[in-house]
Amino acid sequence: MGIWDTFTDLVEAAKPWATVEAEAPAEEPQEEEQPEEEEEEEEEEDDDEPKDPKEQLEEECKNSKQCAPAKHHFDECVERVTNASDDGEAKEDCVEEFFHLAHCASQCAAPKLWSILK
Amino acid sequence: MEGRSISTSSTGAESPLKLNVAAAASTALAIGSVAWYYHLYGSTAHAMTPAEEGLHPTAYPWVHTQWLKTFDHQALRRGFQVYQEVCASCHSLSRVPYRALVGTVLTVDEAKELAEQNEYDTEPNDEGEIEKRPGKLSDYIPAPYKNDEAARAANNGALPPDLSLIVKGRHGGCDYIFSLLTGYPDEPPAGAQVGAGLNFNPYFPGTGIAMARVLYDGLVEYEDETPATTSQMAKDVVEFLNWAAEPEMDDRKRMGMKVLTVTAVLFALSVWVKRYKWATLKSRKIVYDPPKVTDKFRS
Ligand code: HEC
Repeated sequence: MGIWDTFTDLVEAAKPWATVEAEAPAEEPQEEEQPEEEEEEEEEEDDDEPKDPKEQLEEECKNSKQCAPAKHHFDECVERVTNASDDGEAKEDCVEEFFHLAHCASQCAAPKLWSILK
Repeated sequence: MEGRSISTSSTGAESPLKLNVAAAASTALAIGSVAWYYHLYGSTAHAMTPAEEGLHPTAYPWVHTQWLKTFDHQALRRGFQVYQEVCASCHSLSRVPYRALVGTVLTVDEAKELAEQNEYDTEPNDEGEIEKRPGKLSDYIPAPYKNDEAARAANNGALPPDLSLIVKGRHGGCDYIFSLLTGYPDEPPAGAQVGAGLNFNPYFPGTGIAMARVLYDGLVEYEDETPATTSQMAKDVVEFLNWAAEPEMDDRKRMGMKVLTVTAVLFALSVWVKRYKWATLKSRKIVYDPPKVTDKFRS
């Protein structure tokens, strides 16, 4: 990303031999070796579903130093409210605390997530 | 004249103590009234609690929103697949005809084939009967429900909105919808009230949304073998919905670039023309040649 990409994009677009295809490009004869390799890879992938990097990154972020204050408040609130509701009277909820923690975590994870996703 | 002198003489010289007290009292009054004013009106009134506002989405570094970037058409293709396989059973996309997909998302043949899978009403025939015909490129993507009432009836009373312009129609646009789709926590935070038939989502104003989580890892299988994680599908479908709402974006950016380029050329031209036109003025030399002073005049 950045200004350099713009120039390469412009050059790419200006090249007389660059092609834009509205129709499906003609199918290229596939090499015989390729399908075998792909099958192997697929088998490996099929064993376990792809894991969402967002959840993992946000979990890491929640436990990082950056989000420690928000996490501290949230955990404290959850403890307080669960204790209170065990006694039968919870007068508050932890939505606001949850917001602050979720905001911190997603903000911390955003650039990392985008570097992983396609 | 007289009046003034009488009044001054009657009060006499003010004692410094009185003056100090007056100054202190008036200052205290001033500070006090400012404090009172801010106490009354200073803090902004929040009509809604943060939960009612909803959590503001994080700004994600979308590439396609940058000034000189276009939509990633591979992503649009994946996003359209997600829309079709996941969202289309509840949400219509009523402003997008098949022809708009040609060249941006699908090839002509693919779009024709897709259109032909659905039936549309014909014009009345000679007997005034309306028959069915297979779809054409000029037809619009069909809605999942006959009308809003049917849509509500099938969704617990909640209407799944049309997604054609949803990116423009929500604060936070792409960030909001991405956050909404990926933001369902495993369980609502302690003490949160979730209404019957609703699901907790922090990004939805009020936090109770009638749409349950729809995206799960591995739900679709991408033809380009991108791993279909929840966030990947959400990212793709959001970029696709951004295209649906703003199909002119790529052209608009190119037009902007054209305007800047042409303006730059014209500006350069005008600088050269100015230089040319002013050449005579700039290069002329004004010489003051004072007349010779002769003694004749002096005497
Ligand atoms: C099972 C049906 C169903 C499916 C599938 C579904 N939705 Fe929804 N969606 C709903 C309903 C119902 C609402 C209305 C929620 C409400 O108003 O509480 C909704 C609301 C929305 C909203 C609007 C939220 C707002 O701020 O008002 C967006 C955006 C949305 N859905 C996107 C999607 C996308 C993208 C997909 C596909 C990945 C999808 N939905 C799949 C039923 C569905």
